[in-house]
Amino acid sequence: MSTRNREVVFLIPALVLTTLGFALVYTQKASTLTWTSLTYGGLFLALFLIAHVGCRFLAPKSDPYLLPITALLSTLGIVLIYRINEDLALKQAMWLVVGLAAFLVALALLRNLSVLYRLRYVLGGLGILLLLVTVAVGREINGAKLWVDLGPISFQPGELAKVLLVVFFAAYLVDMREVLTVSTHRVVGVPLPPFRYLAPLLGIWAFSMALMIFMKDLGTSLLFFGALLALLYVATGRFFYVLVGLVLFAAGAVLLYFVFPHVQVRVNVWLDPWRDVSGRGYQIVQSLFALAAGGLFGRGLGQGYLIMPSGNTIIPNLPTDFIFSAVGEELGLAGAVGIVLLYLIFTYRGLRVAVQTRSDFSRLLSTGLTTILALQAFLIMGGVIKLIPLTGITLPFVSYGGSSIVANFILLALLLRASGEEA
Amino acid sequence: MDKPIRRLFLLFALLFVALVVQLTYVQVWAAADLNTHPANTRAIEAEMRVERGAILSADGGKLAVSKKEGEYYLREYPQGDLVSPWLGYNSLRYGRAGVERVYNPELSGQTGLLSLTSYWDKILGRTHQGADLVLTVNLRVQRAAAEALGERKGAVVALDPRTGAVLAMVSYPRYDPNRLEKTWADLNSDENRPLLNRPSQGLYPPGSVFKIVVAAAALETGVVTPDTEFEDTGSVTAGGFVVNNYGGRVYGKHDFSDAFASSINTTFAKVGVKVGAESLAAYASAFGFGRECPWPLGGAASLFPAPGDLDKAHVAQVSYGQGEVLATPLEMALVAAAVANGGTIMKPYLVSKVLSPSGGVLEETSPAVWARPISPDTANTLRELMVAVVNRGTGTRAALAGVQVAGKTGTAEVASGEPHAWFVGFAPAEAPQVAVAVLVENGGAGGTTAAPIARQVLAAALGL
Repeated sequence: MSTRNREVVFLIPALVLTTLGFALVYTQKASTLTWTSLTYGGLFLALFLIAHVGCRFLAPKSDPYLLPITALLSTLGIVLIYRINEDLALKQAMWLVVGLAAFLVALALLRNLSVLYRLRYVLGGLGILLLLVTVAVGREINGAKLWVDLGPISFQPGELAKVLLVVFFAAYLVDMREVLTVSTHRVVGVPLPPFRYLAPLLGIWAFSMALMIFMKDLGTSLLFFGALLALLYVATGRFFYVLVGLVLFAAGAVLLYFVFPHVQVRVNVWLDPWRDVSGRGYQIVQSLFALAAGGLFGRGLGQGYLIMPSGNTIIPNLPTDFIFSAVGEELGLAGAVGIVLLYLIFTYRGLRVAVQTRSDFSRLLSTGLTTILALQAFLIMGGVIKLIPLTGITLPFVSYGGSSIVANFILLALLLRASGEEA
Repeated sequence: MDKPIRRLFLLFALLFVALVVQLTYVQVWAAADLNTHPANTRAIEAEMRVERGAILSADGGKLAVSKKEGEYYLREYPQGDLVSPWLGYNSLRYGRAGVERVYNPELSGQTGLLSLTSYWDKILGRTHQGADLVLTVNLRVQRAAAEALGERKGAVVALDPRTGAVLAMVSYPRYDPNRLEKTWADLNSDENRPLLNRPSQGLYPPGSVFKIVVAAAALETGVVTPDTEFEDTGSVTAGGFVVNNYGGRVYGKHDFSDAFASSINTTFAKVGVKVGAESLAAYASAFGFGRECPWPLGGAASLFPAPGDLDKAHVAQVSYGQGEVLATPLEMALVAAAVANGGTIMKPYLVSKVLSPSGGVLEETSPAVWARPISPDTANTLRELMVAVVNRGTGTRAALAGVQVAGKTGTAEVASGEPHAWFVGFAPAEAPQVAVAVLVENGGAGGTTAAPIARQVLAAALGL
């Protein structure tokens, strides 16, 4: 079977599945099954089929599994958001249209990834500019400064900056790869390249720290730093860099822990949320209650206790940061593990794309893009199930959030472009 | 370059496996503990889909009702704070307390026949209805008692000594259960403890109202009769401890009946020492001290020290209700009820009937004996002593026109501030229908502060 046929074979069942889910939630809300529920399902099917057809023309040899996985994740996300808040679901559906449009435009414009390599400093500068804008005029929501208001819409520049900076890291490491693997001197028996080549890397470390300080955003800075370390390791093959990076990050984290009360709160709440179940520990404790209520197979779509009689969600930030808790309650351990597996397959396919690329830049770029997506998924899923301290970031493709959806579809477009690249 | 990428994938695979392990732990292994955690309101949420039964007063007043809003029934408390300390609350966020907690199985329709209809309701998609509770509390008496106590920290209990049916139970300060969500933090940090149901949970030195128990012991053991003569010089020394009368008064020659009516500490110290620690402890226990609180909603056990711990000085002190004796207002109401009901204490109760949604009686409480501390003869003698208190002693302000009131005042010394003011009693003395206990924290003299409150409560309960 050809790659694209394989894609459509996976795409259709994925969308039929979420259409069923949508119908299920819809009948519970309206207590009758009307054509509306199926119309919505049909709409999503049509949208992704358009994307699929676009791929046939624009990237015929690209990986056939990535699009069906994102289709499943993003439509499941909309079903859950619809179940939580109908107005929000409508907005998310519009963002999905914008995201898919951005996906096709990116594929159409970028016939070759080397364009990105050539524009590396422009794109890197743009990424940093976006972050600076956030710091300068950003609005603080839930303790993190992530939002910029632009007329009626507000967006998170950090989401797009994430992709741009990975492009820059990849390109930069392609340039530096040679010199970074050549050691000119030794420090305590460890071979080191010249300091002037290391300086920019230290700069990025400092930059990640600054992000944490000024945006109070643990999640995004962890993402940048994790992606940088992964790329450094893949580019040089030297585990030593990872080690140094981890030590630097740990040092920075410890420093921040003692300097910033909000970091301390995050860590303490993670260590023992039960000390303050109605205050600071409330959110994570409610998330654990939701997961426990779900059990093995969940309470069923629409059957969980997500909305309080007051109309508020029982877990604050449910459609954004805590959507995975809703999955755990309504679809159970089975559903939650299913989502984890989808991200695992995505990661596997993404890194497979990286291995099969022909240029160093494409290889590093697809590694970096896959890393931030996988890392982001891990950080937020681990956070809401109390495996690691909570960092407020979105669950890629599933969470409510326009900037996140659009940025991740652009990320997908770059990955597909890398995978279908001609020599 | 491929090897690092492969290792990177391995790392992510490990991280995702860690996710699955933690998910399994939370959703399967720890699920039972999490589901039953006290802070978990999910069970309450499920019950909010049930039309929770109403709680009604004996005279048909509504204490708690369910109103439908959206898919949930929300609880409303039409009486505001009036009965909150024992009626409790049914909160999605803070769980349940009081009647709402203890009678939850009935109110949410999970007992007996109703649990069967629950099953059918689920199948048929109908709203499940819980049972209504009809209480013994009479709203008219409750309001009168709350008004009489006013904004003074304290407690009032009124019950029918013949059955144990509680007619009124007032605690102050209180809280409005309709505003619980907004005031929760303040209520919990308030040092006046408005969530505490003082009548059943507050432990206080009983002071001279405890003399009823001491007198009962002295009369039954034959140490005194009402006519036994005593001589008071204003103070008496027992085991090196000097006992003085309240207000430093000197009574001179008097009999036991006078000692009870005027609440003479020195005489009670002498009598108590003569009765002895063993007998005092035995009678305190017979009246309910040291026993589990009989209140259906639970409460504190009143305390009397073990006889082995009582030297002569301590025996003298506990004989007028100081020292290590602690009592709840409910316990002291039961002591009065024992005298009123010929020596038998009926088990206090609050719920008289459980009604099915269609109005049928599912359960009806029948009065039960809780304790028989004294003989009917002793009870009769004590009745006369308590009548004297109201007619010519410290409790004259509890007297009602046309109805003979019997009672005993108490002015319990406390570590700091004014003494606690007590009055316990019953009326009509010859055929008692209601027994009361009144406590005002730091209220001063019992005869001045507590007796007038008791008077109003008795009047309301007797329909005067």
